[in-house]
Amino acid sequence: MAKTVAAYWNDLRDTRVMRSIFRGAPGDSSLHGALAVQGNVFLHLASVKIRRRSLAFSATWYLGTLTLATFLMLVVTGVLLMLYYHPSVPQAYADMKDLQFVVSAGLFLRNLHRWSAHAMVLLVFAHMFKVFYRGAYRAPREFNWVVGVILLLVTLFLSYTGYLLPWDQLAFWAITVGSNLISAVPLMGAKIRFLMLGGNSVNANALLRFYVLHCVILPLAAILFIAIHFWRIRKDGGLHTGLQDTLAKESHG
Amino acid sequence: MDETKPFVAVVESDARKAPLRVAFVTRRTSPQVHSTDDAFVMTWPEGILRAAVAVEALAIVLVLLSLFADAPLEGLANPMQTPNPAKAPWYFLGLQELLHYFPPVVAGVLIPTLVIIALVVIPYFNVNIEADGVWLRNRRRRLQIFAVVLLALIVFLMVFEVYAVLAPTLLIGACMLLAARRPIRVSSVQRWLTSRPLSFWIMTWFLLTSSILTAIGTFFRGPGWSWVWPWSA
Amino acid sequence: MSEQKDTRRESFVKLGLGSLAVAGCGATVFGYEFLSPNVLYEPSPIANAGKPDRFPPDSLTADPAAGIYIVHAAEGFYALSATCTHLGCLTAWKPELGIIACPCHGSKFNRQGTKVDGPAPKPLPWLRVWLSDEGDLLVDRSTIIPPNQYVRT
Repeated sequence: MAKTVAAYWNDLRDTRVMRSIFRGAPGDSSLHGALAVQGNVFLHLASVKIRRRSLAFSATWYLGTLTLATFLMLVVTGVLLMLYYHPSVPQAYADMKDLQFVVSAGLFLRNLHRWSAHAMVLLVFAHMFKVFYRGAYRAPREFNWVVGVILLLVTLFLSYTGYLLPWDQLAFWAITVGSNLISAVPLMGAKIRFLMLGGNSVNANALLRFYVLHCVILPLAAILFIAIHFWRIRKDGGLHTGLQDTLAKESHG
Repeated sequence: MDETKPFVAVVESDARKAPLRVAFVTRRTSPQVHSTDDAFVMTWPEGILRAAVAVEALAIVLVLLSLFADAPLEGLANPMQTPNPAKAPWYFLGLQELLHYFPPVVAGVLIPTLVIIALVVIPYFNVNIEADGVWLRNRRRRLQIFAVVLLALIVFLMVFEVYAVLAPTLLIGACMLLAARRPIRVSSVQRWLTSRPLSFWIMTWFLLTSSILTAIGTFFRGPGWSWVWPWSA
Repeated sequence: MSEQKDTRRESFVKLGLGSLAVAGCGATVFGYEFLSPNVLYEPSPIANAGKPDRFPPDSLTADPAAGIYIVHAAEGFYALSATCTHLGCLTAWKPELGIIACPCHGSKFNRQGTKVDGPAPKPLPWLRVWLSDEGDLLVDRSTIIPPNQYVRT
C-alpha cells in the first residue's frame, strides 16, 4: 500500500531540522493546532479558536479576508513591477510599453496589478456595507469601524496615486482634474495642491511624489492600520456574530 | 438546537465555586433557551483553510481576468490635448457625475467631506445603535418628520434637476411609507420592511444613490459629459 | 488650589512640555518648508507669441503649447487662458460656432472669455499682454488682469 501524502509530510516534519524550525513534533491534537497558531509569528495575531458561526459564508462573505488577499497580491505584483519602472517623465510611459511587450510576463503582472486594484476598491466598499448591515460597528467595535473608514481612505488614495504612474493620457488628465478639485478646498486648497504636486501643474515632481506615496508612504500606512484593525477584532471579542444583537434586542424592553 | 430545558434555579453554599446566577425575565422575552453556547473550532486547520479556499477562488478569478482582459493604456500624456471625455477611475465617477450638477466646492469638497464625517460618526449615534424598526415607536411624530424631510429633499433635488438622485430617493421614500402602513401585514415582505431601523434606510439610500451615480458616469456619459445611450455608442 | 505657586516639579513639567510643543511646531514648519519646493523646473510663465502682424485682424489664434488664445480684436490685442475654469481641462476653439468649448463637462465661452454655457464658475481669465523691446507680443500666463484691457500696436 502506497504511503499517503500526509504520511510523507509527517516523516519530513518529524526530522530534527523541521522540529527546530517549528518548535515541536508534529501531531493532530488541539494542542498542536493551538501551537500552530500561537507559535507562529505570522499567524499569532489570530485567535487559537474561532466561533463556528463566524466561519459561515453568510456571516461575512469573507470580504475582509478577500480585501487583505487583494492587498497582498497588489504588494507582490507591485514590487515586481517596480523592477522595470522608472518614475521619470517620459521614461515612465516607455517602461509601461516595455512591460507590456518586452518583459516576460510583464503584461500579465501589470494586468493582475490593475485588476487586483479595482477588486480591492470594490471589496473594501462591499466589506464596509456588509459590516454595516450586520451591525458589526456597534459597541464595543466603534473604533474599529473608524479604523476601517481610515483604511477606506488609504485604499482610495493608493488607487489614486497609482493611477498617475503609467503617465498616459488617462492618468495625466484624471490626476489634473482631481488636483483641481483639491484646490477647490476653501482657504488652503491651492497650497495643498501645490504640496501634493510639488509644483503648479502635473509634471515630473508630481510623478515622483505620487510614486513615493504609492509605493512607500501609503503601503506603510495601510499595514499599520491593518494591524490595528486586526488587533481590535481580537480585543473587541472576536468577529461579530448576529447572536449578540439578537440577545441584546431581546433583553432591552 | 437543544430542546428547551425547564427553568431551574440553583442555590449553592459556596459562592466562589457556583456563583449565584439570576435571570430576569422581562416582558418581551420568554425563558426559552436561545442557544446553549457558541461552538468554537480550531483556527488551525479549520479557519485558516477556509480562508485559503476563499483567497484561492479570488486568485483564480483575478488571474483569469488578467490573462484575457488587458488593462488600458492610452497615448503618452499630452498637456496640450485633453481627451474627450476625460473620465476619472470608476470609483470616482459617481463624484464626477455629481460635479455635473453642483459646483466643484460642493460636489468635490463639501459632499465627500460630509460623507466621510457621516461614516465616521455612524457608531456613535443612537440612530444607528437602535436596532428596532423605525416605525415601531412614536409612529405619528416620526411620520411627520419624515414627510417634512422627504419633501424638502425632493424640492431641493428638483430645483437642481438632480434626477439621478431623485429617483432612488422616491423609491426609498415609497418603501419607507410601505413599511409604515398599518396594520402590519402577515406577509413577510412588509414585516421585514417594518422591522428595519432608520440607519438601514439611510445607508440603503446612500448605497443606491452612489451606485446609480457611478453607473451613469460610467455608461451614460460621453464627449463633453453629454448624455449618451450606451447601446447607441 | 490654583493660587498656590507651582512646585519646582510642576515648573519643570511645564518647561518640558513647552519645549516639546515648540519643537513640534518647529518640526511642522520645517517639514512644510521641506515639502514645498523652492525651485521649479517648469517653463517660464511668459510666452512669446511672435510679431503682432502674424495675427490677422478680428482673429482668434489658439496656442495649445502655451495654453492661451491670442485675440486680435478691433480695439487691439488681448490674451485669454485656455484652461477651463471648471476643473482645468484644455479648451478648444470652435471657429464654425464662434465659441471656445471645454471637452470635459461642456462649458462654453465666447471670444471675450465670458461663460455662455456649462458648469464653469468663472469666465476665462484675461492675461497680461505687452510688447517686448523687439516688438514681440509677450503673454504672462501667471498674471490675470481685469478684462477689456487691450494692447494696441
